Amino acid sequence: MSAPSTHGRAAARVLLLLLAALVLWTGAAGLGVTAVGDAHAQPAPGNPGATAKAPPRSATPAGKGNGDRDSKYGPPLKKRGGPIAGLFWGFAGLAVLGSLFVVTRRNLITAVMGMVGTFFAIAALYMMLYASFLAIIQMLVYAGAIMVLFVFVIMILNKPEDEPYGGPGKAGKILAGLAIAYLLFRIASVLLHPAPSGWGTERLDLALQHPAATAQGYVWGSTASVGWNLFNDYLFPFEAVSILLLMAVVGAIAIARPLKDDVVEGPATDDGAAAGASPGGHS
Amino acid sequence: MKSILIDIGYSHFLILAAVLFAIGTAGVILRRNILIIMMSIELQLNAANLTILTFARMHGDLSGHSFAMIVIAVAAAEVAVGLAIVVAIFRGRRHVDADRLNLLKH
Amino acid sequence: MTTINLLWVVPFLPLLGAFLNLVFGKRLSRGTVHFVAVAAVAASFFTAFYLCVGYWNPAHPLDWQEGPLWRAYLAWKQGGKVGAFGVSEHLWTWIQVGDFRVDMKLALDPLSSVMLLVVTFCSTLIHIYSTGYMEHEPRYAAYFGYLNLFTGAMLILVLGASLPVMFIGWEGVGLCSYLLIGFWFENEAYATAGRKAFVVNRIGDFAFLLGMFLLWWATKGQDGGASLDFAAIRHVGEATPIYYEQTFWFREHLAAIAGVLLFIGACGKSAQIPLYVWLPDAMAGPTPVSALIHAATMVTAGVYMVARLSFLFAASTTAMGVIAVIGACTALAAAFMAFAQTDLKKVLAYSTVSQLGFMFVGVGTGNWTGAIFHLMTHAFFKAGLFLGAGSVMHGMDGSGDIRIMGGLKKYLPITRITFLVYCLAIAGFPLTAGFFSKDSILAGAWAAHGDGWPAFFGKMLWSMLIVAALGTAFYMWRLYFLVFEGEYRGKDQVAHPHESPINMTGPLMVLAVLALVAGFIGVPHVFPHANFMTFFPEWLSHSVKPMWSEDGHASVLPHLSKAVEWGLMGVATLVGLLGIGLAYALYGKGPSPWVERFTASEPGRGLYEASKNKLWVDEVYEAILIRPFRALARGTFEIIDRFMIDTVVVNGSAFVVKTFSRIASWFQNGQVQRYLVGVVVGAAAIFLWTSRAEHPTFKYRWTADGIEFRAEPGHGLRRDARVAWDFDGDGAPDPGETGRQVTKKVGEVGRRVTMFVADPVFGDKQSKPPSWRKVTRNVVVPSEGRDAAAAQGGQP
Repeated sequence: MSAPSTHGRAAARVLLLLLAALVLWTGAAGLGVTAVGDAHAQPAPGNPGATAKAPPRSATPAGKGNGDRDSKYGPPLKKRGGPIAGLFWGFAGLAVLGSLFVVTRRNLITAVMGMVGTFFAIAALYMMLYASFLAIIQMLVYAGAIMVLFVFVIMILNKPEDEPYGGPGKAGKILAGLAIAYLLFRIASVLLHPAPSGWGTERLDLALQHPAATAQGYVWGSTASVGWNLFNDYLFPFEAVSILLLMAVVGAIAIARPLKDDVVEGPATDDGAAAGASPGGHS
Repeated sequence: MKSILIDIGYSHFLILAAVLFAIGTAGVILRRNILIIMMSIELQLNAANLTILTFARMHGDLSGHSFAMIVIAVAAAEVAVGLAIVVAIFRGRRHVDADRLNLLKH
Repeated sequence: MTTINLLWVVPFLPLLGAFLNLVFGKRLSRGTVHFVAVAAVAASFFTAFYLCVGYWNPAHPLDWQEGPLWRAYLAWKQGGKVGAFGVSEHLWTWIQVGDFRVDMKLALDPLSSVMLLVVTFCSTLIHIYSTGYMEHEPRYAAYFGYLNLFTGAMLILVLGASLPVMFIGWEGVGLCSYLLIGFWFENEAYATAGRKAFVVNRIGDFAFLLGMFLLWWATKGQDGGASLDFAAIRHVGEATPIYYEQTFWFREHLAAIAGVLLFIGACGKSAQIPLYVWLPDAMAGPTPVSALIHAATMVTAGVYMVARLSFLFAASTTAMGVIAVIGACTALAAAFMAFAQTDLKKVLAYSTVSQLGFMFVGVGTGNWTGAIFHLMTHAFFKAGLFLGAGSVMHGMDGSGDIRIMGGLKKYLPITRITFLVYCLAIAGFPLTAGFFSKDSILAGAWAAHGDGWPAFFGKMLWSMLIVAALGTAFYMWRLYFLVFEGEYRGKDQVAHPHESPINMTGPLMVLAVLALVAGFIGVPHVFPHANFMTFFPEWLSHSVKPMWSEDGHASVLPHLSKAVEWGLMGVATLVGLLGIGLAYALYGKGPSPWVERFTASEPGRGLYEASKNKLWVDEVYEAILIRPFRALARGTFEIIDRFMIDTVVVNGSAFVVKTFSRIASWFQNGQVQRYLVGVVVGAAAIFLWTSRAEHPTFKYRWTADGIEFRAEPGHGLRRDARVAWDFDGDGAPDPGETGRQVTKKVGEVGRRVTMFVADPVFGDKQSKPPSWRKVTRNVVVPSEGRDAAAAQGGQP
């Protein structure tokens, strides 16, 4: 294990970032993301990425007009805002940064911390997309359980990595890197290119608009709405997933169970002299 | 240019998801430690989730949320079993270096 | 030509014997083997005798049944002696391709009857002889099988009615020669000798084939189509001799070129310069083989062929001149080489070459009958000489070195007597067979004249032959004296020389008798003679082109006055006696010391060395021909076989496969990450692949109204692209042309049409000028399309 200081420093940095994210999130929630900033929106405190400039001028008044169009969903277009953009870029940056940490850091715990940061950022992004239930679940399951599991295993392995990037097979990896870059380029060119009609283009600018409520009257993306959808339309996958989880649990236990002749570390039980060092745990 | 920065649309989310996916793929391919590889796989799954939710928002369909939830559940299961396997491997070989795990070779 | 049904038996019987002996011989006893062989060839002889002469039952001696050929002859005589006569038999059609037709046809006429009887008779005698000579041979059956096979092939050669059929026999005897020369193939030298014979023969055969092709090409124009039948060639030669005088290469007559080519083939078979080198080496074979093949039959095939094609050769004095000169040179050179030989059979081999030279001079000067006459008598005494040599070697336990012989007349009396007779014949002692035949050739040479030959040509040939005759007498009697007279010098090597058994001496005696009396059927006219004595040339003249006489006969000594004839005969006799005397003087009682002194001093030593080393001809061939050829073969082997085929093709393809497999196996090293690389790269590749269809382009075609342009902006995103056209070539979109499908009149469209494609934009971007993507194509306006479209009248 590396010196606690390095660990601590990294951890401290990450925690700070998390704090900042939390604050942002609260601020955004308080402002109401729905109020996609009109000209009067104040920038949230501590917003590092806010492009605090005047909203782009447009000759069009609010409401139906030249620059606005009718949309099938939701109220007509309002002016977009800088702060939301800032929030987006901030969280996006955090996500990317965290993932880069994962991919580049040699120290496993640092990588884990980066991962956690990514998860937080992605949760925030989920929020921006009005998937509030998913955001909470993301936090609970991913950052709360899965990453903890990773930390446990890291501690079990207790083995520093000798060399992050392998020597042999570099050619293949470089080739793969080029391929990935190409794929990114293609997807970007597709996405940044305005789509033809019939593709929902007019909804492009509605990403951050408040969606309508569901047919049952629940807020879109809330627990109730997702639950309704899940238990009515997708009951079977839900049940199947629960069985899958059961299998995963059983499988994990079966695989990671120490073998009969492995010595389990720990204080020997005084079970009787004959038993001696009790051979590992049996089921 | 300004509009790309200011007007946040679905493309932004999608591109972000693509970038995260690409970074995840790079991590899977480039890193040798199995744990990092698994974390990169989680990253990929998260990127996919982001994409799903973006499209769900685009079409106003909540099925995407259900889908994403199931993805999270499956990811959790996969991580559990995967880490169990990592532990078992480590027990036998005392290392978790992907480059040295090449029994599939012949 | 009358047709009969019995001809095929003659070659078939020996071939049957060969088959039986070669296939079943190992299981048969020796008695059965040689019975089969001798019976086959003897039956063949009797059949041939019947065919040519007739059937004579000893029980009814006066009841003479004429054979087919004789009957044909009589019929011909009664019919006014028109055309040619003979008997033939058509077996089957061998080749029929287009208008090229070769029949498997056998024919018998006077010329081939002579050859037939000589071949079968000598073959029978030699088969009988072989039963004694090859007594202790382990491969007895193979030997007799080959001997029979040879006889069968030779008979096909003699009886063939066309050049291709003759060629079958030609090749067959070449093959058997190879098999028999190299009969004791365990000895490397003998096997090499067999190979040498075959290869040199092959060179001649190649020229033979070329001559054949040329003849076929030449006879294509005549009525009846091209044919290589001897009858056809004779017909052409008789009827339209002009036909052969086509200009060809070097402005020579066709007959000359074909004749020379065919003669080169004869050189290979009959051991003339430059293809004689195989014959001395052929002495590696068993002695009866030498007797049969290399004295009596195979080597005479060349002479026979030239005589058979007399009508062809007679049309070209060039070819005949070439033949005569080469024959004379060969006669001289071979005689020279025989002086210093110390091996019994080698002397005889060179003697054969020399006598063949005589024969070729005969045919070269148009003396067909003389050449064939000499062929016949030579067959008898040369075969006898070889068989006698075999008898001597048999008595000397296999050694043929004359240096350790001498005084063998005490031990081998019968052999000695017969050998003496043969030597008298070959030297031309008066009234022996050799005397008459050699004289006919000499006289023919003296009298020879032809178009284009210098006046002294005949005399030159005659003088060369006289010198050769002197040499012949000398070296043959040297041989006789060294072997049979004087003191026995071989007490250390062979203690007890012994005479041969009757099955060996019997044939010797028969041949000796023939060597004495066979000449009496070809006596020249100046001799006092009975009718039958000039029978031979008369009989033969019906098969060959008459060269010299005007009264329908071909006589042996044309145009010569009595005095000249007697004079020539006298000179020849003198020369023969001189040779004998010289040999007696030098070797009469063993090699005289004068010989030693002569060969030790200059210039005797040079001559001696030249003769002993056969004029170094073999060495010259080795240096000029064989070594470069071997180098070429080795070079080809290295380049083509080793490099191109082995290295480039075989190893190269293995290398390519190995490299590809190495590339492919890079992918499967067991690391999962590597596989993932494959997935990612594959996904990128798919994107790369499917993006090709994105490029915008446009199509155009003809309609009745003009040219119709259809835009294809691309797939997917560009479906909604804006399109504009530029038809006048100014580089800017023409106003008003914005449709996807536009039809323009021909005159309004320039050569280069540009389509502008702009991606769709929305919102306030629409106010900005679009960024055009240009696609320019040259529009080709074919006139046919225009007319066709106009003609169709408005149907797009």
